[in-house]
Amino acid sequence: MITDRDRQHRFESVAAAVADPVQRYLRRRANAADADDAYSETLLTLWRRLDDIPHGAEVPWALSVARKVLGNQRRSTSRRLRLVEKVGGTSHDMFVAPPGDDDHPEVHAALMALPEADREVLALWAWEELEPREIAAVLETTPNAISLRLSRAKAKLAAEIARQNPPDAGQEPVETAQEHQP
Amino acid sequence: MNDELRNMLKSIDPMPSDVPTESVTSPEGRHRLESIMSTETTERTTKPSRTRAPWYAAAAAAVVAVVAVGAIAISSGDSATDEGPVAGPPLELSGGESNVMASCIMVTPEILADVEVAFAGTVTDIEGEIVTLTVTDWFTGGDADSVVITAPSGLEALLGSVPFAVDGDFLVSATNGVVNYCGLSGEATSEMQALYSAAFPG
Repeated sequence: MITDRDRQHRFESVAAAVADPVQRYLRRRANAADADDAYSETLLTLWRRLDDIPHGAEVPWALSVARKVLGNQRRSTSRRLRLVEKVGGTSHDMFVAPPGDDDHPEVHAALMALPEADREVLALWAWEELEPREIAAVLETTPNAISLRLSRAKAKLAAEIARQNPPDAGQEPVETAQEHQP
Repeated sequence: MNDELRNMLKSIDPMPSDVPTESVTSPEGRHRLESIMSTETTERTTKPSRTRAPWYAAAAAAVVAVVAVGAIAISSGDSATDEGPVAGPPLELSGGESNVMASCIMVTPEILADVEVAFAGTVTDIEGEIVTLTVTDWFTGGDADSVVITAPSGLEALLGSVPFAVDGDFLVSATNGVVNYCGLSGEATSEMQALYSAAFPG
């Protein structure tokens, strides 16, 4: 029989495992205050749904929750801003990386030039460092679909970076798979 | 290409690994976890009923009750003295009786605008004959952080009218405590969102 203490231990264990990746995930996609709220709400959901959290896949599961929490938060904000029309389907600005003081504006510009679905899968791959199967768990789709989407997104990003940073600009172009040299 | 692209993306990571996050063992982290663990996973009671169902609530009679429980404390985590936002008591609605397929009229934003309660919410729990939603947005008629819908005619009848599913996003309206069907409540599809947006501008 699972006691309250067992439940608390399990939650503390899950929280320890997901705290850092969830906070980073949220801070990459929201301002500090919104991210903090979303972090608490994510943890609350994990607490309430503790029995549903798969052992060994806590982080992707928690990121999936965080993604929904952030989506709900953005939906609420969007409505207040009369942007409900933009909320339909999968169009959530939440998955846009907040502009920062980066040293690579061309990379940022290239990323922002991609469709949102591509940006999201690329961010999960590069920033959250997730494998396709883990990204699939976050986005609730199949690993095969993610592999395909990720491959296309990488190619689009490489092409966009090359377009934003042409060779005659005096910098190294991004290698594509075909152009790769040993 | 993989490593180069990944490194390029990492170079613009808004939250790189050298930026610290809140540790669960820090005082703030412990406070946050303990606040969450002090909440119940299911909390609800009932309150006396209100009035009759409206004409378009084909579901007919039911009860509405505002429950006195269910405070969900979510700490903002920055200060031991900051208790964080505390949710008000959840609003309890009824799924109504079984004749939900009774005559429906064409749904318009004007009709929807007349409902007493309307909100957007995410289903967090379906248990027995009770569906619990966390409110993500109130359009009218409330400010609770959660809503509990009971199904006096059984969960199957309720789900036959509105296919509530855990983690699903829904737009729900009610009058006199009875959830409105006939296209006035349902999954948060783009069509439903457009309807609610038109009915509750601003």
